[in-house]
Amino acid sequence: MPAIFILIMSLALADSLSGQKEASLAYAVLDFDGTPLSRAFDSQLGNLDLLNKSAPPSSEADARLQVRDQKTAFVIVIPQGFANQIGSNQPPELRLLIDPAVPGMVRNGFRQHVEAAATRVWLTQILEHLRQRMMLPVAEPAGAPEISIESVSNNDTAAAAPPSSVQQSVPAWLIFSMFFVVIPISAVFIGERQCGTLQRLRAQRVPFSLVLAGKFVPFVLVNQMQAVVMVAIGRWLVPLCGGEALTLPGNAAALMALSMLSLAVSVAAVGWALLIASFARSSEQATILGGVGNILMGAIGGIMVPRYVMPAAMQTWTHISPMDWALEGFHEVMLRQGGFTDILPAICSLVCFGLAALAAAAFLNHRATNT
Amino acid sequence: MIRLENLRYRYRPEIPPALDSVSISITRGSIHGLLGPNGAGKTTLISLLAGLLTHREGRITIDGESLDGWRAAHPNAIAQVPQDYAFYPMLTVTENLAFFAGVQGIPRREQQHRCDRALAFSRLETVAGRRAGELSGGLRRRLNLAIGLTGEPEILLLDEPTAGVDSSSRLFLLEAVRQYAAAGRTVLYTSHYMEEVEAVCSDVSIIDHGKVLLAGPVTEVKRGRTLEQVFMELTGHSLRD
Repeated sequence: MPAIFILIMSLALADSLSGQKEASLAYAVLDFDGTPLSRAFDSQLGNLDLLNKSAPPSSEADARLQVRDQKTAFVIVIPQGFANQIGSNQPPELRLLIDPAVPGMVRNGFRQHVEAAATRVWLTQILEHLRQRMMLPVAEPAGAPEISIESVSNNDTAAAAPPSSVQQSVPAWLIFSMFFVVIPISAVFIGERQCGTLQRLRAQRVPFSLVLAGKFVPFVLVNQMQAVVMVAIGRWLVPLCGGEALTLPGNAAALMALSMLSLAVSVAAVGWALLIASFARSSEQATILGGVGNILMGAIGGIMVPRYVMPAAMQTWTHISPMDWALEGFHEVMLRQGGFTDILPAICSLVCFGLAALAAAAFLNHRATNT
Repeated sequence: MIRLENLRYRYRPEIPPALDSVSISITRGSIHGLLGPNGAGKTTLISLLAGLLTHREGRITIDGESLDGWRAAHPNAIAQVPQDYAFYPMLTVTENLAFFAGVQGIPRREQQHRCDRALAFSRLETVAGRRAGELSGGLRRRLNLAIGLTGEPEILLLDEPTAGVDSSSRLFLLEAVRQYAAAGRTVLYTSHYMEEVEAVCSDVSIIDHGKVLLAGPVTEVKRGRTLEQVFMELTGHSLRD
C-alpha cells in the first residue's frame, strides 16, 4: 500500500514538480474588444504552460456557466475599448472569472502569467507607438494592465472575492479526519470479536444487522460531534491563534445543506469503517487497511493534492474516491454558494457507498459464520 | 432427548473434517460431559448446537424436532457460555446482565427479575455495581456464567467454565452447574479437568479427531478405572497442539 501511495502522489504531483507541459487546467478568453491588440494578447496566453485553451464562450453568461460547471477554471474577459486605452491615462482593465475551488497558489500563478502576457503585448504596442511617433513627445504609458479577480459562484448576484486558503483546505482535512473513525470502530469491533462477545450475541440469535446498527448509529453521532468540534475550531479557535477564520454560509438553507452533507460523509465513513472491521482479523490489520486505505482515498480524491494541480488523466480518477464526492459537495456549498439540490448527487453517492459497505460487512460476517 | 446423528462438519474442503460421523444422545435433564484433547472437535460440536455454525451433513434433533425448528419455537432455550470472558469490561456487572438480557428480546419488566436471579445464582450481588474489567478471574467466570443464565435456558452449553480459576471458585461453579441441572435443565459440559467431569456429569462422550471414541454413563465408561486412565488409553499420550 505505501508503494501505491507513492505512485499516486507521484502521478498527482507530476505536473507541479516537473513543469513539463501536460495541460490539466483549462482557460478561455472572452474578447469583447476584437482588435489586433486583444488578439495578440490572446495568442500570447497560448504560450503559457500547464494550460489548455477552451473554445471562447459566446457571452459573459456562457463564460460564467462554463466556470460554474467546472469546464474551465478561468475565463479572461477583455473589455471593449481595451486597445483604445493605449495612450490614455486610464490603465487597461482585464477581468478574470475563476472557479473558487482553484487553489490560491494556482490562482496567483495564473494571474501572474496573465499579467506577464498582457504586459508583454502592452509594451510591444507602446514601442510600436513610439516608433511611429519618434519625433513627437511620448505619451506617458498608463502602466501595466490591471486585473481584477472575480469568483464565480452559483449565486451570481454579486461579484465575490476569491476564497481564502483556509476556506479551501479545511473541508479537505475535515473529510479526511472524519474517515479516520475507522481506527476506533475497528478497535472496538475486533476487540469484541476476540473476547467472544460478538460470538455470544450470535449464539443468542441477535441478528448481525442489529449488531451493525448498534455500532453504526452511535458512531455516526460521535463522528458528527467531531465534525462540529473541528468546524468550531476553524471558525473560532484558529483566529484566536492568529490564523484566518473559517467562514460558514450565512443562510440557514446552506447550513442545513452542509449538515446533510456532513451526515452523508459520516454514513460513508462509518460504513467503510465497519467493512474494514469485519474484514480485518486483528486491530493491526485494521489499522493498516483502514489507515492506508484512507490515505489512498485522500490522495486520489484531491485531499492531499488539489484536483486542479493533477494531470488531466489523473483528474478523471479522482471521481472514484468518496472523499472527492464529499470535497466537491463541501466546495459547492462553502465556495460556490450552492444549495441542497447542488449537493444532492454527492449526498446520494456517499450514502450509497456507506450502505454498500454495510451490506458487504454483513455478507462477510454471514460467510464467516458458515465456514 | 438431544440427538446428534452422523454429524459431519468440515471447515474447508482441503482439510480433514472437524467432526466425522458423530452420533451422541444427550438425555434431557442430565449433565453430559464432553471430553477430548485440544483440536478434538468439542468446540465445533458446541458451536453447531449453539447455532454459531451450520451443519450440512447429519442431523441434530431436540425432542424429535430439528435444531432449527426447535430453536425457532424456543428462542432463548439454548445458551452458550464460552471459554472467553465474553462481556463488556467497561460496563458494570448489572449493565452487562441487562444488556445481554435486552438483546435476547426478554420483555423489559421480566428483564430485571431475570438479571436479579442470575446475579443471585452466581452470587455476584456484592459486586453488581463494579466494572466487569475490574473483577478477579473467579468473579469474571461467574459473570460469564450469569450472562448465560439471563435467558434461563433449557439447554446450557458450558465450554471450559472453570478454566483459570482458584479452587473455591471452581467448587462454587461446579455446585452451581449441579443446581442448575437439578431443576430439570440439560447441561453439556466440556472440560480438560477429568475430576470435574467425574464429579458433576452423569454421562460422558470422549471424542478425538472428530470421532466419538466412547460414550455412555460415567460409571459404565470408567469400569473400575479413573476417567483420566480411560481418556489416556483412548486418545494416546502424544502431545497435542
